[in-house]
Amino acid sequence: MLKRPLATRAAVWVLVVIVAAVALAPWFGLRDPAEPNLGMRFSSPSPAFWLGTDHLGRDTLSRLLDGGRFSLSIAAVATVLTGLVGTAIGVLSARRGGWVDEFFTRTNDVLLALPEMVIALFIVAAAGPGTHSLLLALTVTGWTPFARLARTLTYEISGQGFLKAARVVGCSPQFIIFRHILPHLSGPLIGQATLRFGQLLISVGALSYLGLGVQPPQSDWGAMLAAAQPHAERAPLAILVPGLAIFIVALCVTLIGQRITELAGNRAITAPRTKEAHA
Amino acid sequence: MIAFLAKRTVALVATVLLASFAVFLIPYATPGDPARKIIRSRVAGDAIDESAISSLTTELGLHDPLFVQFHRWLGRFLSGDMGLSYSSQTPVVEQVLPALGITLTLVVAALGVAVLVSLILGITSGLHEGRRTDRVITTVTQALIAIPEYWLAPMLVLIFAVKLTLLPSAGWVSGASLVLPVAVLAARPSSYFTSAVRSGMIEALDAEHVTAARSRGLSYPRTIMRHVIPNGLLPLATLLAVWFAGLLGGSVIVEVIFSIPGMGRLLYDAVLNNDIPVAQGSVVLVVALAVAITTMADLVHRTLNPLLGDNRA
Repeated sequence: MLKRPLATRAAVWVLVVIVAAVALAPWFGLRDPAEPNLGMRFSSPSPAFWLGTDHLGRDTLSRLLDGGRFSLSIAAVATVLTGLVGTAIGVLSARRGGWVDEFFTRTNDVLLALPEMVIALFIVAAAGPGTHSLLLALTVTGWTPFARLARTLTYEISGQGFLKAARVVGCSPQFIIFRHILPHLSGPLIGQATLRFGQLLISVGALSYLGLGVQPPQSDWGAMLAAAQPHAERAPLAILVPGLAIFIVALCVTLIGQRITELAGNRAITAPRTKEAHA
Repeated sequence: MIAFLAKRTVALVATVLLASFAVFLIPYATPGDPARKIIRSRVAGDAIDESAISSLTTELGLHDPLFVQFHRWLGRFLSGDMGLSYSSQTPVVEQVLPALGITLTLVVAALGVAVLVSLILGITSGLHEGRRTDRVITTVTQALIAIPEYWLAPMLVLIFAVKLTLLPSAGWVSGASLVLPVAVLAARPSSYFTSAVRSGMIEALDAEHVTAARSRGLSYPRTIMRHVIPNGLLPLATLLAVWFAGLLGGSVIVEVIFSIPGMGRLLYDAVLNNDIPVAQGSVVLVVALAVAITTMADLVHRTLNPLLGDNRA
């Protein structure tokens, strides 16, 4: 089964290797990823070009590592942004209740019903293509799972004794949120963030593939795929490799995220509740 | 139930109105002179001189307050007048409706395939919980979630269209051109549906009425058919609606890759070419459709689960 710790450990190592390779690529002394070499178009893998070259004779390996920097970092920033916005909204909804809660729950329902890609296209249409509108589009559509999770968990622990005690003792709402609520949410939220990272990585690639995200001369895995597609028959590696990279990272991250969610579910949420039941 | 229906209808109308307003604002919010952009969507012909612009601005009421203009725009929109496309100079509605039909075919076919696949895999896997069959099915379906469509599609094209020449690589001509796009579009929902059916089955197998049925002497296959499967499928109803909306968006990339003249491609081309009227028409239609389907699914869900109190409305 995928959830076995062994698979998780393997996933962590694969991820570490990929991230390290992408981060350290500039020191590997690889070819310039943007440098065309028309004499070497469509080369097969060789000692000089480990993964062959694409339709412009560019080195697929250096393009892969260079593109990974954009893909991974944009997905990471998007994960952090959606996580922060979503958690803030979720905790606020649960603590305030009333119209605040009603408003955000409705917005959540609406966003759930709207096709993500259509909203993203709409935002890009209004703000123009590029990294900024890419992040904006991903944040506008992506905060809802975090908000739902944070809201439910905050509600769940809000009825517990230690929160009542904190309030009776005179703790401020800010203190209660930062010292008592957020630490309880951190485990499940980190699990959720890990899972979301995989999906966001795919979405970043999708928008870049459509030419709406990272703009040339910069390139990420999605844009790389799009550039290689017309020449898929002659340079299949140039299209196989970036997609495989997205797939492997997304898969590893999903495995890790599931494991974190499992562990967090057992420790952070269940443990206090059972204690409560025994008291 | 009446209160729930009323609340949902209000929410539906409000959402579509809000989305339309956002869409209506595009010519005002994007760089350039809004009057010029609106005139281009109302009057055919490229060369319009300054004096024509100022007279048309008055004639079309572009000096009126924004809400008055929105009201007028919405009225025209609802009566089927969505303006003229910038690029083709033909009415937007004539492009949008056929495209919508194509996209709906694609989405419904993909959902159908996904349901079929998930029924087979989910039921099998649920009945063999923890055994090898279950492990294999679970592993494969979970891996499917991590596959990007824009990678799966070119790979399938490379294998089935280029190497094996079994299927067309793009276009929208025959039934065969449906196969690859539908397969790509169905991959991700199949994975989510399968795990929903699987856990639904496992939960239903555990239920007391199943034990009761077995102890009354009902045979195993009959118990499964009559008591386990119907209950195990409940989660699928809600997921279907969510994925209907999701696939309307997901079809953008599939339609672009396979050059299918559907809604997603229309919207994508409109965004790339700055064809504001086409973008407006397609966004409003897709949003209205998605919200309507979700609302309908909520109603169905509540009819199937009368136990849900009105407080959850």
